[in-house]
Amino acid sequence: MPVTKDLSIEMCGVRFPNPVCLSSSPVSNTGEMVGRSFDAGFGGVAFKTIGKGDIKIIHPAPRMAGYDYGNKKLVGLQNVEQISDRPLDHNLKDIQYLKKNWPDHVVIASIMGFSNDEWRELAIACEEAGADMLELNFSCPHMTVEGSGMKVGQAFDLVEKFSATVKAAVKIPVLAKMTPNVTDITEPALSAKKGGADGLAAINTVLGLTGVDMRQFIPSPNVGGMGAYSGYSGPAVKPIGLRAIAQLAQHPELGLPISGMGGIETWIDAVEYLLLGSTTLQITSGVIHYGYRIVEDILEGISYFMEEHGFDNVSDFVGKALPNVVSTDNFDLSRQGIAEYNLDRCIGCGQCHVVCQDAGGQCLTWDEGKRLPVMDESRCLACMICSFVCPVSKPPMITYKEIPGKPEVMPTPSE
Amino acid sequence: MELGYTYSQAMTEAARCLLCHEPPCSAGCPANTDPGKFIRQLRFSNLKGAIATMYRNNILAASCGVLCPTCTLCASGCTAKGLDRPIDIGGLQRFLAEHSWEIGFSPLEAGAPNGQKVAVVGSGPAGLMCASELVQQGFAVTIFERLEKPGGVLRHLLPEHRLSAVFFDREVKMLADLGVEFKCNETIAGRAGLDELLAAGYGAVYLATGAWEAMRLNLPGGEAGGVKGAIGFLARSKSDPGAVTAEVKGKQVAVIGGGDTAMDVAVTAQRFGAQDVYVLYRRSYGQMPGDPEEKLEVMQEGIHFVMLTQPLGYESANGQVTGVKVLRTRLGEPDFSGRRTPEAIPGTEHVLPADVVVEAVGLKPGKGLKGFEGLQVDTSGRVIVSEAGETDIANVFAGGDAVRGAALISHAIGDGTKAAKAIVNSLQGGE
Repeated sequence: MPVTKDLSIEMCGVRFPNPVCLSSSPVSNTGEMVGRSFDAGFGGVAFKTIGKGDIKIIHPAPRMAGYDYGNKKLVGLQNVEQISDRPLDHNLKDIQYLKKNWPDHVVIASIMGFSNDEWRELAIACEEAGADMLELNFSCPHMTVEGSGMKVGQAFDLVEKFSATVKAAVKIPVLAKMTPNVTDITEPALSAKKGGADGLAAINTVLGLTGVDMRQFIPSPNVGGMGAYSGYSGPAVKPIGLRAIAQLAQHPELGLPISGMGGIETWIDAVEYLLLGSTTLQITSGVIHYGYRIVEDILEGISYFMEEHGFDNVSDFVGKALPNVVSTDNFDLSRQGIAEYNLDRCIGCGQCHVVCQDAGGQCLTWDEGKRLPVMDESRCLACMICSFVCPVSKPPMITYKEIPGKPEVMPTPSE
Repeated sequence: MELGYTYSQAMTEAARCLLCHEPPCSAGCPANTDPGKFIRQLRFSNLKGAIATMYRNNILAASCGVLCPTCTLCASGCTAKGLDRPIDIGGLQRFLAEHSWEIGFSPLEAGAPNGQKVAVVGSGPAGLMCASELVQQGFAVTIFERLEKPGGVLRHLLPEHRLSAVFFDREVKMLADLGVEFKCNETIAGRAGLDELLAAGYGAVYLATGAWEAMRLNLPGGEAGGVKGAIGFLARSKSDPGAVTAEVKGKQVAVIGGGDTAMDVAVTAQRFGAQDVYVLYRRSYGQMPGDPEEKLEVMQEGIHFVMLTQPLGYESANGQVTGVKVLRTRLGEPDFSGRRTPEAIPGTEHVLPADVVVEAVGLKPGKGLKGFEGLQVDTSGRVIVSEAGETDIANVFAGGDAVRGAALISHAIGDGTKAAKAIVNSLQGGE
């Protein structure tokens, strides 16, 4: 087993064998599925959100749409899936089944009530079934039941109220799951804290609209001829997720542990979320794309990363990047530089020249005979877009180089 | 023919394209096809635009995509080679053509009729391209073809595994849809035939009659039964497959030559049931002039490549060939073409048993246009023309293999375009 490091970590007093969990979604729909994910290596699960069952839940059909970029499949994923459509007792039995067979793995019961009483009753039922923690779903952005999910998460007083209701009913730790579809994600988080939440989970899906069919003009997924704003996830939202986690982690009045998620597929994604303040991690879209097996590479990758950096515990590097995250007014604007080229490795495609002309500082001319860019360093904005399009990588052919004392570059008036 | 790319395969390949500034691929096509532009258009999902770009300069873009040795033409300068392998430009070109047929989109339109008529003699790539260009500019174009169907070498000599008839028909249909008139089984006989066309109101005539004479080695014993030329063999394989089966089934077949025609003959013989097929070539594998990819495929097909072997003559019994007398060669100094010259190794003479021998050592226009009084031709029968494609007869132009000798399809396409421009200038008093 190449995982040589102890990856276990504690969150809200609960010990996770490793920080990587399934998030509450189709990938954690049944006990049988989650059991297999534990065997594959996941350390815990936020079980598919459980409802009381008094209002019947029916999933729209179809319930998802993939978002592709060029030939790359599933850069993003759109869904209108609802909370669990299964009877409450089936879900509770599955929680019991998981805790009986995988007692060292963490089962977080995700719940959603449609009234204050439902929140309380669901919390008690899940605690009795053996759940280690609760996650309050204040954030599903496309519930067909009016006034639920994200609508609660956007009404900060309800976040506080339902958090308080649940906290008063159970002894196990309670996480509030946050929606990114607010102006400032720390505001509902503060409300959850006021209500007594022990930790946070973020981000739920981003409200999105993946596309429109070119023949019928119907958004996707096409549910009986109609589409809706709904939850968008996957690698495309990772930058939004990382930003939200850092905001929550840096807020001076919050101080709550965070289960981070949003587009995690590789150990690098996972480590980034940890470095920005996540204590545990959750995954759905990556599993929808590739299956549970990706967890093996995430765990091995984290272990090798810890070996390289000499970390003994995952907690050693949780939040380690946060001191470097500042507001832009803290930047030292006197430090300027250029894009430095190693032309020995240039293959002559000229994409750098094209983008420098049309989107940069026009500092690159083109030697047609040699098929090479020619740089006028005095005009280089160091915007680095040339390096983004350069196909020569690992190591990159174009790198940023700081030039001490270089004045900032400004275009002159057009003649 | 193997299947072409699916939509997603094509998009995946197009996504590898580095979208070069001043794309080298676009500078590398003798037919002036513009891959740098049509691959970019494909990459940005502008499929109709890509199809229009591709067909703009090349009415046989689909066939070129299948047949061109792209690694020596457009793809030779592909910058993606600096990362791994060149873009499969031919494959993308074929995909766009097949996609255009699938969605029923033709980007070409006949021009408003200008009242002028042009005759094209011969319906190979050069003739078809010239006709396409002219009909788009409003000329009424009639193609005269001596055989029963249009297409020249592409239809009558290329084996089905290289270019399927169904595939080729779809491409030719685009021309018919543009209003080009095809008159098949019509031979333009000599200068008198030409004059008749000019007298009948055709303002110009384009001679694109190809290279239809197989060169022969004229070795001792070559009159024996079973020693054949490549053109007859390939043409029969398409027009009378049963006859070719009878010729080669269960037999030892020797093919002499190292070019694309030799490869076509070898694979055809193998597929028609020959027991063993030997390609005899006096130089070495690297010097064989055929498409490198084609050579590899042929070898993988199980054809035996007998290199550094010089045929000297034929042995026969009862008037039927029984073997090829050969000797071993070694490579000496480079000749005028830059290829090292084979030199005989004395004392290595031996006989390779063979029941059938096909000489595939080149094609030339031969008698084709000889006897057209007033046309200048060289010793191989190639018509001598000006840079613009004009012959010594007023309003008569020529191009393609009739001028070059056997050459690549893309060169013929380029010739057709060039001649069309010269014809337009001549008839409309351009520069």
